[in-house]
Amino acid sequence: MKSLKSIFSFVIPLTAMLITFAIFLFTTKVVDDYKLKISNDYSIVVVANTPLVKDNINELSGIKVQKIVTLEKNKIINNIKDKLSDKSVELLKQRLPYFYKIHLEQYPTSSQLKNAKNELLEIKNIKKVEIFSKNHNQIFLIIQKIIAVVFAIILIYAVIIIAKQIKIWFYEHHEAITIMQFHGASILYSASSVIKHAVFGALISFGIVAALIVLLNNNLELVFPPELQSVVGIKLLVKEELVKIFLLSLFISISTIFGVLFKHKMKNA
Amino acid sequence: MITAKEIYLSYDKNRFIIKKGSFHIRDKEFIFIGGNSGSGKSTLIKSLYGDIGLKHGELFVDGVNMKNISAANLRKIRRDIGIIFQDYKLINDLTIEENIMLPLKINGYSNEISKKQALNLLSHVKLSHRKGYRPNELSGGEQQRVAVARALAHNPKIIIADEPTGNLDDFSAEVVWNLLKGANEQLGITVVVVTHRVPKNFGIRFRQLSIDDGIIYEVS
Repeated sequence: MKSLKSIFSFVIPLTAMLITFAIFLFTTKVVDDYKLKISNDYSIVVVANTPLVKDNINELSGIKVQKIVTLEKNKIINNIKDKLSDKSVELLKQRLPYFYKIHLEQYPTSSQLKNAKNELLEIKNIKKVEIFSKNHNQIFLIIQKIIAVVFAIILIYAVIIIAKQIKIWFYEHHEAITIMQFHGASILYSASSVIKHAVFGALISFGIVAALIVLLNNNLELVFPPELQSVVGIKLLVKEELVKIFLLSLFISISTIFGVLFKHKMKNA
Repeated sequence: MITAKEIYLSYDKNRFIIKKGSFHIRDKEFIFIGGNSGSGKSTLIKSLYGDIGLKHGELFVDGVNMKNISAANLRKIRRDIGIIFQDYKLINDLTIEENIMLPLKINGYSNEISKKQALNLLSHVKLSHRKGYRPNELSGGEQQRVAVARALAHNPKIIIADEPTGNLDDFSAEVVWNLLKGANEQLGITVVVVTHRVPKNFGIRFRQLSIDDGIIYEVS
């Protein structure tokens, strides 16, 4: 009974932590998917005096260029040619610079975007570069803030759990460990009860969170309406997430065991 | 079996609890260590199982030098020692049967043999009927009988006991003394006991050391 109580005092906060971590993984995945989606929609517009040699622009600020699309002059002229004379249209055709849309493979950060602009402006025939940084910044800052907050919560929570559990288990097991060591037990044998509690706790917590993730994955449409899914394209990578959650669970358990043993060693030093 | 050569023991730099202590305990001897409260009796026997390190001098237990002993050697030497503490030091999460099995399992005995030996010892200490109890469900005397059974379980070379009957009723004290005498006489185990009072009419040969103000004397 006491043993079960001890395991569950670890399982409850650990499960809550693993759920937070799963949410973090999920948020990161959604954000990454969203970034990919907006990076497909996002492009830098370049105005050049003479035609660009596209093969010379393979990378901008360390990000590979996905494609460079030429904006047809005729399309622009067609939109306004009704209001102009034939002569003016001809003149416009000669005077109008060349327009290009550059698509990148990744969604750039603000600083990457600035560097990309500078790199483009260094090319002789490029006259103007529009990076639409205002819209870019707003979206990107929100995304970054969400991830940073979730990550900070997880970190703080993990540290609190480990510290609290080390304290509890040290108090509960210190004497038993000492007695076993007086009888010549190895450190692993003397800590076997702590190890047992930590491993059981980790497995139970992982089991609960794994079940929740599988359940969520099978019922995504209940949590996220189809309209939202069509915008963001939410997909869970269940196996990958489960491996990461299992590793975190094990890491916390092992850290707690080491913490208890370290505290024990310090006390007996 | 145990040889101390001018040992100094202390918990801090400024005050030595044992000063220049020298003695020799032969194999299969029964030794009482006496002395007033605070004289250093418990500190001395703590040094025998490596719970306190030597400041100076040399201490050999079963041929092993306890000064700067490695963790592996300390574990090895402790497996050959049975310790009886004044405050019993039983593990409350285990039953008394499991407590007695503990040194056997640490020494690598199978569960079956450990269990058999534990039950045998429980009958010797007259606690067979309580084998499933936890230590905190027993009286002090009963707990000390369990502690003695645990110390004997793996047939150690040495038994070290710190005031084993200090808090016991007459019946429990008699059971404890009889077990220790039996271990020494019948099994040939070297027994070192710290006590305020040597029991009258003890019935077997013993030698007595005494500690006064950190100095060890041979009394008889």
